Amino acid sequence: MTEAATLLESISEKLGISTPWVKKGDALWLEPGQKSVRDVAQAMNEVHARFVTITAYQLLGDQGFCLEYHWDLDGQLLGFAFRLASNSVESIFDICEAADWIEREIHEGFGLNFTGREYEPLQLRKGDTPGVNLREVKP
Amino acid sequence: MSYKIPMGPFHPGLEEPYKLDMICDGETVRDAKLHIGFNFRGIEHLAESRNYIQVIALMERVCGICSNVHTLTLCRAMEELTGLKPPPRAQYIRVIVAELERLHSHILWAGIAAKLMGFKTMFMTSFEIREKIMDILEAISGNRVNYAMNRIGGVNRDIEDPQAILKMVEALELEMMHAVIPIFTTSSTARSRCAGVGVLTKGKAISCAVVGPVARASGLTQDIRRAAPYAAYAELDFDVPVQTDGDVRARLLVRALEIMESCKILRQALAKLPPGEIHTEGEKFAFVTGTATTRIEGPRGELLYSVSWKEGSKTPARIHVRTPTFAVMPAIRWMVQGARLADTPLIQASIDPCYSCTDR
Repeated sequence: MTEAATLLESISEKLGISTPWVKKGDALWLEPGQKSVRDVAQAMNEVHARFVTITAYQLLGDQGFCLEYHWDLDGQLLGFAFRLASNSVESIFDICEAADWIEREIHEGFGLNFTGREYEPLQLRKGDTPGVNLREVKP
Repeated sequence: MSYKIPMGPFHPGLEEPYKLDMICDGETVRDAKLHIGFNFRGIEHLAESRNYIQVIALMERVCGICSNVHTLTLCRAMEELTGLKPPPRAQYIRVIVAELERLHSHILWAGIAAKLMGFKTMFMTSFEIREKIMDILEAISGNRVNYAMNRIGGVNRDIEDPQAILKMVEALELEMMHAVIPIFTTSSTARSRCAGVGVLTKGKAISCAVVGPVARASGLTQDIRRAAPYAAYAELDFDVPVQTDGDVRARLLVRALEIMESCKILRQALAKLPPGEIHTEGEKFAFVTGTATTRIEGPRGELLYSVSWKEGSKTPARIHVRTPTFAVMPAIRWMVQGARLADTPLIQASIDPCYSCTDR
């Protein structure tokens, strides 16, 4: 088994996930199941993976939102997709400093709340409302 | 006594609008807060209403310096979603244009850095050389800024006479070897203004997850061209310059050495340019439902596109762009801590920031 494969297996073990990694495009994806974003961020810190970004999607109808978290492990892009039942999710800012700006941007673009942190405006100016840029307004 | 000095959003020391609120003790900066978004354009939202042809032209406008890498990353993602693979000649042409763009970007940055050092002669020299790179890009694409080279499944224009381009690249390389590189690497002006200034330690570079030349100037070794090769990079031989001091001079050295590596890549790619088609046939594309995430190494570092599509739709459901400057900019806070106030314009310029990319 290669070093990369061993590391990937160790991530699955740390998270207690038995489903395999799935290759899609440049990224390897792991279904996080019941694990929280903080569990995943902690596991990524332990293997010294580099945080890359979070991509937010608004799902069809009333299905809410999906957040895709990406890390880089020795050149391999890793992805974890989380469906949000509500408009909030735990922040990983305190355990992953690099997530600061993207959490602020998603908060402002989609109006989602990252709990456990405070925001300073990143792009919104005085009087602007979170969620006006990217969130679809449903009648 | 501490006092706050706001720098920007519009300031002679800044190339583009952003704001740095600095807390100072005398002439020493103790802390800083960054504010962006003064030119936020909502391009990700606009992209959701553009079809698969229009969206390429739109995303090319995210940046006026590295416009080609945006379309390259986007087209790679759309190729994942359509199952199309560009022919080998197109992969080499993509490398050639990407490396010329890197040269153009690094030389432009060198000129701006020279101006901020008070080194006006070097500023003029850099911009003269940059014009020649833009001439080559114009000879290939017909355009000086937005080259419109990439399309789904390949490139739009061929390089019909690689030898002529090779001669231009060799002439350019000689000029850079004789003028830019020695001055930036050995001159006392560059050393005195840059050495030990704006240090980003390796530990802080890791925790801030910075990318590109800024990361490589702080001892991190990753370059996406090497770590996760795309286009024809796996078939080309090049080194990844790394410095460990983490200061402005280290960033300058990394970019200077990258200029030489880009010339090396260009010479190989032009010599090995394979024959054949430059794109796959057809103008209509069948997208599958799903998300494709792709990365490339732009002049400023790792650029990521996440593209989501619904089958049967002509427009993307979502495009998310994580630009290198968005990843690197927060680290300025740590670079300016303890610096002299007068050095802060040079420190912020040393990351080669692009606010056009950041305020996409």
